[in-house]
Amino acid sequence: MPSRGRLTDAPVASVPAVAEPYVTFSHLRASLRPRAGALEAVAPAPSALTPDRPADPALARPGADATIPDLRHAAIALHDVTKVYPNGKRALIEVDLVVPEGDFIFLVGPSGAGKSTLIKLLIRDELATTGTVLVAGRDLARLRRRHVPHLRREIGIIFQDFKLLPSKTVHENVGFALEVTGTPRREVGPAVERALALVGLSAQAEQRPNQLSGGEQQRTAIARAMVHGPRIIIADEPTGNLDPLISWEIIQLLLRINELGTTVLMATHNAEVVTALRKRVVALEEGRIVRDEVGGYHRQY
Amino acid sequence: MLSFLAFSVRRAAQGFWRNRVMSLAATVTMVLMLVLLSGLVLVLSGLEAGLQFVESKVEVQAFLNDGVAPERVARLQEQVAALPEVATVTHTSKEEALADWRAQQEAQGRPDLTGLTGTNPIPASLNVKLKDPRQYGQVVEILKAPKGVVAEVLETQRVVDALVAITGVLRTVGLGVMLMVALTVLFIVVNTIRMAVMARADEIEIMRLVGASDAFIRWPFVLEGLLVGLLGSLVTLGILAVAAPAISQLGSTVLREIPVGFDQRLGEQLVLLVVGAGALLGGLGATISVRSYLIK
Ligand SMILES: Nc1ncnc2c1ncn2[C@@H]1O[C@H](COP(=O)(O)OP(=O)(O)OP(=O)(O)O)[C@@H](O)[C@H]1O
Ligand SMILES: [Mg+2]
Repeated sequence: MPSRGRLTDAPVASVPAVAEPYVTFSHLRASLRPRAGALEAVAPAPSALTPDRPADPALARPGADATIPDLRHAAIALHDVTKVYPNGKRALIEVDLVVPEGDFIFLVGPSGAGKSTLIKLLIRDELATTGTVLVAGRDLARLRRRHVPHLRREIGIIFQDFKLLPSKTVHENVGFALEVTGTPRREVGPAVERALALVGLSAQAEQRPNQLSGGEQQRTAIARAMVHGPRIIIADEPTGNLDPLISWEIIQLLLRINELGTTVLMATHNAEVVTALRKRVVALEEGRIVRDEVGGYHRQY
Repeated sequence: MLSFLAFSVRRAAQGFWRNRVMSLAATVTMVLMLVLLSGLVLVLSGLEAGLQFVESKVEVQAFLNDGVAPERVARLQEQVAALPEVATVTHTSKEEALADWRAQQEAQGRPDLTGLTGTNPIPASLNVKLKDPRQYGQVVEILKAPKGVVAEVLETQRVVDALVAITGVLRTVGLGVMLMVALTVLFIVVNTIRMAVMARADEIEIMRLVGASDAFIRWPFVLEGLLVGLLGSLVTLGILAVAAPAISQLGSTVLREIPVGFDQRLGEQLVLLVVGAGALLGGLGATISVRSYLIK
């Protein structure tokens, strides 16, 4: 990852990555045509999708339909996505969702609504049964297997159970993400230190996960997610195992990361947090998006 | 690239050591298989060499009694040469035969004992080449007809046929046994590496999530499999090196005057075969084990 900045370099909303495979207008049009109205109804207005961004001459095509939002500038775009598991369970049904670069969005819904399934689609752990999933400018249905790792390096993933390696120190756990993606050794140390500084764990660098509090463990996981300088942070119930006070700490950290330019999508059951912050909330119920608006957690899940 | 290599090698060694009981068990079965394989190759190449030697000789050789009048031998030679199934008949004198024998012994590095006796123990012979090596016709009968001329008729083709049959059976049976043993070894390697993979399941999950490529996930385990294979072949080669003189001895005792070459070339081929088979089974077993853990 030589060209993309890590933390200190330039964690600004990034230029669309020159990434394979390109999403072409004709492809987009084809996929949007049947339910173009539906997409626009759910997504914010097209102008909001491309805020003040100078047109990229390499991407703009003469005659491109102005009513089609430029989804390549969106961090995440789902169109008419349905996911049916092999056992026949329909976990997501006709989901449309556009998350502009730089957004902070909550994904809420009762247990079994399909939040984790949506996240699995975004990191291409699962493939959509039908519909289009675009993440960081890539069409995941057309993304080659061998390019999946490149996608995942642009996404930082955080889970409820931290997924830290117990035998490694905080520093090693964070460095592991770089080590296994072929980062030269001399670059690992400084990048890990920057990430630990961001989450405020520099002092605990040499401790092991079992010597840390839950909040510190989750912050380690966040540092690991951030160490590649991802465009998007995806968190699946990151505060699920933490008490309210510590949960707030984690949310504050994610907000700060968002302010530094990283798009954040967070699935959560934490009504208090969601209500307190005036952020965009997408509610899933039985696989469908039932609400998509700013603020509020109207129902108790 | 360098960090990838360092990473893979370090983890392979780590994995082998952590799982050392199973790793060593796999190595030992690997050694057993490779020793068996080497044994089979040695016996087969011995037989093969014997076969070639025998085939290269004339098809029918009649050893003559000492002191038979030359004209009787000449007449017999004419008689046999006149037969329709015979291509050529040549006469080897006692002196020529002795010279051949000495040359052969020297080629095999054995001491020449014939000089000690003062007399020449090697008989003269008539050597018949047939037009078709399987068509004997009356050759043997005619050779044996005159009283006191021919001491013994060696029908090489009969020996060849027997050798071909033995070699064929041994090859088939040997390959069958080898295949079964190889499958068993593969199974054991697969299981050994699978345990190593399972011990690292959490790490692999994290590796996939943070964007490690398949190569980073796969190669440490493939190297671990290769390590089992190569360690197995090294031990096997050690055993063979220790046993080599004995094998040579046995080989030349069993096959006697047939110049079987337990030579450099066979040695090199055997090293290649043992290392190749070990590495192949180790690497293949590991690849199978780790497959289901790669990106879907
Ligand atoms: N691999 C799978 N195979 C079959 N069905 C699955 C699979 N994973 C999830 N499901 C089903 O899909 C539905 C959605 O599951 P999902 O995990 O996405 O829910 P969720 O919103 O994350 O719930 P929670 O809040 O409890 O984490 C559930 O009914 C679940 O049983
Ligand atoms: Mg879930």
